[in-house]
Amino acid sequence: MIPALEVEGLGYALPGKGGRGRGRSLVQDVSFTVGAGETLVLLGRSGSGKTTTLKLVNRLLEPTAGEVRVAGERAADLAATRLRRRIGYVIQEVGLFPHFTVERNVGLVPQLDGWPPQRIAARVRELLALVGLDPATFATRYPHELSGGQRQRVGVARALAADPPLLLLDEPFGALDPITRVELQREFQTLEGRLRKGMVFVTHDVREGLLLGTRIGVMHEGRLAFLGTPDDFRRSDHPECRAFMAAA
Amino acid sequence: MRREIALSGWILLLALGCAYPDRIVVGSKNFTESDLLGEIVAQQIERRAALPVERRFHLGGTFVCHHAITAGQIDLYVEYTGTAYTAVLKFPPALDPDSVYRAVAAEYARRFSLSWGKPLGFDNTFAILVRRADAERYGLKRISDLAPVVPRWHAGFGYEFLERADGFAGLARIYGLRFAAPPTAMDLGLTYRALGQRKVDVIAGNSTDGQIAALDLVALQDDRHYFPPYQAAVVSRAPMLSRYPTVAKALVELEGKMPDAEMRRLNALADVEHRDIAIIARDWLRANVP
Amino acid sequence: MQGIYGGGMSLLAFFARNSRELLGLVGQHVYLVAISTGAAIAIGVPLGILLTRRPAWRGPVLGLANVFQTVPSLALFGFLIPLPFIGGIGARTAIVALVLYALLPIVRNTYEGIAGVDPAVREAGRGMGMTDGQLLRLVELPLGLGVMLAGVRVATVVSVGTATIAAAIGAGGLGVYIFRGVATVDDTLILAGALPAALMALAADALLGLAERKLAWRSP
Repeated sequence: MIPALEVEGLGYALPGKGGRGRGRSLVQDVSFTVGAGETLVLLGRSGSGKTTTLKLVNRLLEPTAGEVRVAGERAADLAATRLRRRIGYVIQEVGLFPHFTVERNVGLVPQLDGWPPQRIAARVRELLALVGLDPATFATRYPHELSGGQRQRVGVARALAADPPLLLLDEPFGALDPITRVELQREFQTLEGRLRKGMVFVTHDVREGLLLGTRIGVMHEGRLAFLGTPDDFRRSDHPECRAFMAAA
Repeated sequence: MRREIALSGWILLLALGCAYPDRIVVGSKNFTESDLLGEIVAQQIERRAALPVERRFHLGGTFVCHHAITAGQIDLYVEYTGTAYTAVLKFPPALDPDSVYRAVAAEYARRFSLSWGKPLGFDNTFAILVRRADAERYGLKRISDLAPVVPRWHAGFGYEFLERADGFAGLARIYGLRFAAPPTAMDLGLTYRALGQRKVDVIAGNSTDGQIAALDLVALQDDRHYFPPYQAAVVSRAPMLSRYPTVAKALVELEGKMPDAEMRRLNALADVEHRDIAIIARDWLRANVP
Repeated sequence: MQGIYGGGMSLLAFFARNSRELLGLVGQHVYLVAISTGAAIAIGVPLGILLTRRPAWRGPVLGLANVFQTVPSLALFGFLIPLPFIGGIGARTAIVALVLYALLPIVRNTYEGIAGVDPAVREAGRGMGMTDGQLLRLVELPLGLGVMLAGVRVATVVSVGTATIAAAIGAGGLGVYIFRGVATVDDTLILAGALPAALMALAADALLGLAERKLAWRSP
């Protein structure tokens, strides 16, 4: 089985005055693999490089070192826009298009890929049901008519629309109130099991990470300080892991 | 009681302010020759009457100056008899320079309390101008010669010429001129450039303009005598003249001192060689009114 | 009251006597404004879009457009007259000047309309694999249209007023009446030019305001 994502020696340095025209490194020598059905949680403090790592995978930032392979294909070999169509991307602010209905938002990537309208409509209905939103009620609503939790559900549905092998999520539940957050975490857990996709889930919330991750990666000052199962994480001696466990 | 005193105080101040100006205001119209003559008059008053002169030049056209002098906002400016006769007084056209002058002087004194000085010595009539190449090609010497040619031509005029009774409408009627389209209206100063650049084919300039020679233009003879005589003279507010006899004396010295050729020479110095108007005026006064 | 009534009646009488000429001048005026605003949109909108892609150009481009705006209109006409090709007397020079005047509101509003789009929306769009063109067409332009149309509205209304000056350089339009009226100190003539021009500006403002409300997406 080809892994959903393989990352080797990934690095990102700002353009600057360092040696060879490079400045500060935000990410250095990061390597991991994510198989189908696995969720890698990237845990770390603010500024540790976890969001940057995510953006290096879908080339919103261009890596200055290392290699990324998505479903076996080298990311650098594809055009960036084609690469991104094969990766689902969910962000904290959601970023739904305010002038599109829920239906049009969710069906955006299939539409860009040229799917026939009926197939898009069916897929949209399927996905809305999957994320717990009744298609009949929600398809024609606009984002401003939805609550924060509903909007993020649509965000997830949108990311899944073209059935990508890999999903990237950047603190998707960070902007929600505690009750809604717990609700979505639980539903997401169920979804993980059903979907069999590779996922990279960035968060600074330890409990969320331990709940949702098949493996935990801890980023510290741009490097991967720890990589292992949740149990390994709980038992680890590494100072960052201890710090996170203490704060949990 | 206090309020009455304050009010009288303000009224007194206001009255004093209105009566105060011990200076002569000289105006001029919006073309070079008028500015030049205005400057000559202003300097003459300064050197002879030793009074401060306020210059309000390039005011606008004939009607703006007329309004200004009748409202007392300027004390004098140089006007042309024909212009006063047909445009301001709206008399039907006449030809004899002396009778036009006498009629204008009498009417201005009676109606407006304005006094006409004697003519300065030159006649600045409207010059209907065409390019020399066109004049030679179509054998144009008189305005009558235009009639067969203009149906294919365009004319350009300043706004005043278009509106005046002795302007375009009468000209077209008397000479039977039918242009391809209604004339293009533009700022008077731009009409020479428009003619030179072939944007228009006929303009109405002034016969003493410096640019006629410079741009190699031909002025067509007014063979049907449409335009009245336009003798230049100083028009002043009568009350001002009686209050300042030195000013009246200074102005008399200018009468008859400016023949046609001389006016054209000064205009060319200003318009073509771009010399300073104040310097031209000063040099002329030194040479001609010592 | 008598004076206003008398003045109003003489204005109406003037319009009745000179209806053909009036319509001709109105037509010329509309022509000047329409052509110049159209050209300003054709130049200004792409330029504004370009500025969102190249932030470094923002200062110089907006600065230059600002300079044109600050030059007094009559002076700008005067500067253009001696130039070859675009200069000379007449409508063409006037149109060039009007285009330069209309650029700033249009370029700036295009830029701000697009730059004002929620960054999260833009990030989500890029992250989903939209090309730059798709992002522009499907997201940035529709969301920025309201602000862009406001810029067009400002440019048009200003143009209607500035176009009256064009009569000084032989470009025609309602300014002809105004200049004739000023030369002869004739209030009726001045009003005959100024009133239709003012009405035209109001009408343009209302129509474009309507278009703004109908076409622009507003955040509820």
